[in-house]
Amino acid sequence: MSTEKVIELREVQQRFHARGTPDGYLTAVADASFRLDAEPPQVVSLVGQSGSGKSTIARNVLGLQKPTAGTITYGGKDIFKLNRTEYDEYRRNVQPVFQDPYSIFNPFYRVDRVLWKAVKKFSLASTREAGEALIEESLQAVSLDPGRVLGRYPHQLSGGQRQRIMLARIHMLRPAFVIADEPVSMLDAQIRKLFLDILLDFQREHGMTTLFITHDLSTVYYLGGQVMVITKGEIVERGPVAEVMHTPSHPYTRLLLDSIPQPDPDARWTTRITVNESAATPPTDTATEATPII
Amino acid sequence: MRILNAVLRTVRNSGRLATGLVILAVMVLLALLSPLIVQWIGGGTDPIEVAAYEKWLVPSGDHVLGTDQFGRDVLAMVLSALSVSLQIGAIAGVISTVVGVVVAFVAGYKGGWIDNVLSTFTGILLVIPTFPLLIALSAYAKNVSLFQVGVMISIFSWPFAAKTIRSQVLSLRSRPYVDLARVSKARDLEIITTELLPNLLPFIGVGFASSALGAIFGLVGLEVIGLGPGGVIDLGQIIFNAINTGALTLGAWPMFVVPIVLLTLLFAALNMINIGLEEVYNPRLRGVAGE
Repeated sequence: MSTEKVIELREVQQRFHARGTPDGYLTAVADASFRLDAEPPQVVSLVGQSGSGKSTIARNVLGLQKPTAGTITYGGKDIFKLNRTEYDEYRRNVQPVFQDPYSIFNPFYRVDRVLWKAVKKFSLASTREAGEALIEESLQAVSLDPGRVLGRYPHQLSGGQRQRIMLARIHMLRPAFVIADEPVSMLDAQIRKLFLDILLDFQREHGMTTLFITHDLSTVYYLGGQVMVITKGEIVERGPVAEVMHTPSHPYTRLLLDSIPQPDPDARWTTRITVNESAATPPTDTATEATPII
Repeated sequence: MRILNAVLRTVRNSGRLATGLVILAVMVLLALLSPLIVQWIGGGTDPIEVAAYEKWLVPSGDHVLGTDQFGRDVLAMVLSALSVSLQIGAIAGVISTVVGVVVAFVAGYKGGWIDNVLSTFTGILLVIPTFPLLIALSAYAKNVSLFQVGVMISIFSWPFAAKTIRSQVLSLRSRPYVDLARVSKARDLEIITTELLPNLLPFIGVGFASSALGAIFGLVGLEVIGLGPGGVIDLGQIIFNAINTGALTLGAWPMFVVPIVLLTLLFAALNMINIGLEEVYNPRLRGVAGE
């Protein structure tokens, strides 16, 4: 397979039927165009507030939601019109880490199943022993003790452990692209750093490009790379993280930057930030965007 | 094995569920053994044959529940009728659960116009008054087999199961683990059977129990007013005979009381299973399966 590993979005628009809105529609993504290259491996962050359409873009890129208009291509081909081999190639190379480490596991099964399923569906190992070895290796790669997580049910593990099992899955699959939809928003600070470091390691060691979706600029700053700022379904600013952070050109980016809490008692906020709530809020995003501490 | 463990754990957590299951198990056992018991009562002859004994015998050592207007042993009759009632419940329960589950999964998972069509159809069947229709249907069904009666009744009992399960499918299909299965190249059918179905087992159980209950009592209702389909002797038929022949005034009270007691017990048992299951899998208490 020599298809060029590139994901490209062209004028992607996603609308949902919604009662109570003036035109009966709710526009989650108004106009999104961007390009993700596997070479060189990089981190591209997509930042925006709740309801800005960033999670919808993740679902579009993963092929879970067909956009209303516009095209998403992988290797130059529309991802919703792939043939069998192209589809396998696309699935193998575009894999997610989702936000909620609780509902990502089917409560009916042990956590091993998620990893075994990846082994079987993508033919990663030919024998059971090879599969077991692969799973153990991947769990160790994300600082998990295989003996302590294998054979457990999801509710017996912590949020951080579960989210790292998802990373172990990524480690096994070695996709060219990781679509990480708010993967750290439900993790506590320490685990968050560990998680981000693993993600950066993956980029360096296994050449994975990450689309990192978040509402938190401090994690973007930590990851570096490129950043895109999205508000009301439109990408309003993009560029290298340092540049965007130091000289933001769009007022919304400045607002986001002002919203980062400083861990400094002398620098407490004195002004209030007003958030325009009248903006339409897509349904996919709002219900799950709270960030409880685990 | 895991399912068995989960079931045992569930049963241990709910007294109601356990009681219901025990009562039901005893009744099923009685029904299963009824051919043997009937043979033993007859002692070589058939105790349910017309004029097997003298008619209207009062309960005694030989005939624990007496005999009826044709000289048949009432205990033997009640036991075989119990078996028939349970079989009808099982047949109608299985048919309506299967149909309900299939409709619910297709509608809930596929969504869109398919869901609209199926849901509207289910809704229409739900609001049709069942009883008059069953009366009309049984007028056409004079000599029908047990299986046909089961099918006839299940036509009206699947929509309830379909409705409840569909709403659960709707809530489960947008879970992240379904998305994860999809990006792991799982096909729709695989997602339905391995990701969704196991989490819906309690709801399917409730659907089965209430359909079976509805079928048994639907038929009893028809029989008692003398409109039941011919050819099938269930508990309702015996009650109808007792009323029709004035059995109570002749001292043959068991013919009337025993079927009613059995039906009441069955009703109580199935309802306890229903309530017990719902109690265990209440969304707020869920932890074993579901969420």
